[in-house]
Amino acid sequence: MSLLVVENATRRFGSLVAVDAVSMSVAPGELRAIIGPNGAGKTTFFNLISGFFPPTSGRILFSGTDVTRLSPERRVGMGMARTFQITEIFPELTARENLRIAVEVASGLRRSPWLRGHANAQIRERIEVLLDMGGLTPKADRLVGELPHGDQRTAEIMMALALKPRLLLLDEPTAGMGDQETHDITQLIRKLHKDQQLTIVLIEHDMRVVFHLADRITVLAEGAVLGEGTPNEIARDERVQAAYLGKAA
Amino acid sequence: MKRVPAVAWTGLIWLVLLTMPYWMRAVGGYTELASRVLVLGLAAMSLNFLLGFTGVLSFGHAAYFGLGAYGAAMTIKYIAPSTPLGILVGVATGTLAAMVIGALIARLRGVYFAMVTIAFGQVFYFIAFRWNSVTGGDDGVTGWKRQALDLGLAKIDLLGNDKAFYYFILACFAIAVTLMWLLLRSPFGRTLLAIRENERRARFLGVPVERHIWLSFVISCCFVSLAGTLYALLNNFTDPRALRWDQSGNFVIMAVLGGMRSFWGPLIGAAIFVVLQDYVSSHTENWMSFIGLFFVLVVLFFPRGVLGILRRKGMA
Amino acid sequence: MTQLLLFNVFNGLIVGAFYALMALGLSLILNLSGVINFAHGGFLALGAYIAYTLIPYVGFWGGLAIAPFATAAVGIVVEWALIRRLYGRDPLYSLLLTFGLAYIFEDVLRAIWGAQSVPYPIPPELSTPLSSQFFFLTGYRLFMVGLAALVVLALFLILNRTRLGMRIRAGTADLETVSVLGINVRILRTLNFGLGIYLAGLAGVLAAGMLGLQPTIGTSLIMPSFVAIIVGGLGSLPGTLLGGLLIGLAAGITAVFFPSATEAVMYVMMGLVLLVRPRGLLGEEGRVS
Repeated sequence: MSLLVVENATRRFGSLVAVDAVSMSVAPGELRAIIGPNGAGKTTFFNLISGFFPPTSGRILFSGTDVTRLSPERRVGMGMARTFQITEIFPELTARENLRIAVEVASGLRRSPWLRGHANAQIRERIEVLLDMGGLTPKADRLVGELPHGDQRTAEIMMALALKPRLLLLDEPTAGMGDQETHDITQLIRKLHKDQQLTIVLIEHDMRVVFHLADRITVLAEGAVLGEGTPNEIARDERVQAAYLGKAA
Repeated sequence: MKRVPAVAWTGLIWLVLLTMPYWMRAVGGYTELASRVLVLGLAAMSLNFLLGFTGVLSFGHAAYFGLGAYGAAMTIKYIAPSTPLGILVGVATGTLAAMVIGALIARLRGVYFAMVTIAFGQVFYFIAFRWNSVTGGDDGVTGWKRQALDLGLAKIDLLGNDKAFYYFILACFAIAVTLMWLLLRSPFGRTLLAIRENERRARFLGVPVERHIWLSFVISCCFVSLAGTLYALLNNFTDPRALRWDQSGNFVIMAVLGGMRSFWGPLIGAAIFVVLQDYVSSHTENWMSFIGLFFVLVVLFFPRGVLGILRRKGMA
Repeated sequence: MTQLLLFNVFNGLIVGAFYALMALGLSLILNLSGVINFAHGGFLALGAYIAYTLIPYVGFWGGLAIAPFATAAVGIVVEWALIRRLYGRDPLYSLLLTFGLAYIFEDVLRAIWGAQSVPYPIPPELSTPLSSQFFFLTGYRLFMVGLAALVVLALFLILNRTRLGMRIRAGTADLETVSVLGINVRILRTLNFGLGIYLAGLAGVLAAGMLGLQPTIGTSLIMPSFVAIIVGGLGSLPGTLLGGLLIGLAAGITAVFFPSATEAVMYVMMGLVLLVRPRGLLGEEGRVS
């Protein structure tokens, strides 16, 4: 059974159709990349999946449940976590504090007015594991807003992971990064996918990253699906090439 | 410059608060002034729970302050001559109103939230002002006095002994402030910081932002109405000015003046404001201009507040 | 009874027109600059006092023509000297600043013109009732409603037809794009502020003839203006106009049946609107949160 199913999702802004009857289904453990030229509606599509706003029409199912009208926080509770194209973190808190908030919320403690020693020890341990996984341990006590861009990105992904998601949505994880940083993030995503069998959907512009990571690729253009398949199939698809090269030229 | 640890600052503040009635006179003040600093300091710190630690701009906190004051005054005058009961009823009234109004406004943000809180604040002002037969209208609730505190074993005279009353206020202050401090250090408190820092991220971590803003609003108003009850007890009187818009503005400027990002800042802001108002209003008729000018100067030159500046210089 | 009701409905309409004039100015400033101008009531009172001072020399009509412009000039100076320093900062700061200005205004007006209400002359040709049956239909009242309507019409024409107006509207919708297009946002905001204050000054000159002139005249009108903006819909000028008229009318009608709730009724309306439609009657989606 598919973990995520999108059926004919459409989103209009006034007369503009940003996402036009897009369907997609993602299997558990799959890494799906969504590619497409600028303005293809990729981020809008992501916003529909994560509940940033509802679709004008169509349905979204997450592990068999209709989540089309659910709030983002409910979807997070069901195991959906995301990052943003422009990094969204708590800039004036330290990396450790950023992760602490995420871990506490994930542990169902968000409304708790106190913390017992036992729970606190578990939370600390989890924070250290996440810091270590992201290679952030040496910088854990610096304000996250003052860290380099790549580390901010990593911190954001780690916060999403702190939620123990079943589906991780990454909106252009390598945007604005240098080669080394891109390499590190790609390795991190690969590790998450291979070692933890985490289901991941990501939007990405860097084709090296996409072809290196993805199990399947969905191509969007002008709000609609242009093609879908394995990296090899997509690389050979003439319509996709035309759309990309046409735009590029 | 060496950093002074936070514990030392906290200790110093408590030391000052505990000894204040004994040296106020020596520096030209009086015990009632010290009490007023405590009461308005509590109000400003309560507001700052929402303003500084949740990042939500309320400009109508006087309404809940005033509801607390009226609740206490009318309970003691009409129902039972008991100081604790008055406080209880006052706090319950303010909190209840905050629960209802908070539910209406938790979806709004920024300037709009501020504007709606200002407007709602006026509702209670008009009720107090217009409903003459019950609230005494413009004259307020008079003809009652705070009652002695009956502890079973001993009776504490709060009315004649102004030092005893100061310590009574300090006890209430200590309880309220400790509760707020604990809340801010809890997982719940950290979700509020998260909302202040980045609402979108908080939401996509699974925090139901509206519900937490509502909770923060209600908690903040609960403590501000406690301050309101103490204010009525301090004056043995309350009138519609306790819940008018200018009072709300005063709370905000106290918080800003002291430093919104620090826990104790608003208390320091309140102390400066209260002493200044006391001094200016006894020396000139045009004290409104001075207070107004003071607002302008604080905004233009001290937007980070006293503690914000100290912190930047590495002293706090 | 009918006559009393008619009287109060008409009264409500006039008061609603004041609310609308004042709220439109507030809205203009809020939408473009994100500033809640708490001193708006102070500007309104200033406009009225300037007219009061000028009338002995230039007559009522002269005062009506000059005072709003003089007020707008003061507004532009205040914006230029103080408020513009706070653009882009937390809205808390501009709110506190204008709050302080409101204090100063009230105090200064009191120091110059006294705390007591001063007699405000209305031209005799406007002050006689037009009909013995409908005694309340004085020329001045009709004139106020007519002029307010004319000014609102002119405002919407300015916003929709002139280059300045279109820039203001474009800036309200998307400030970044406007500044990228090479429009001087600073000057735009200053002019827009002046336009808002002009409306406040005009409302002041008109209101003083009906409500009496004292330093607190502005304070008593500013809260209903906030309510008008919230009821009508944040970000929408037609909404603000509608909101102002609606709460004025509601207050007028309530005054007949339940006089002590005259002020309360508008807050009840505000509560209902927030409950059912948080963005206000004509508010745009997504502006509120």
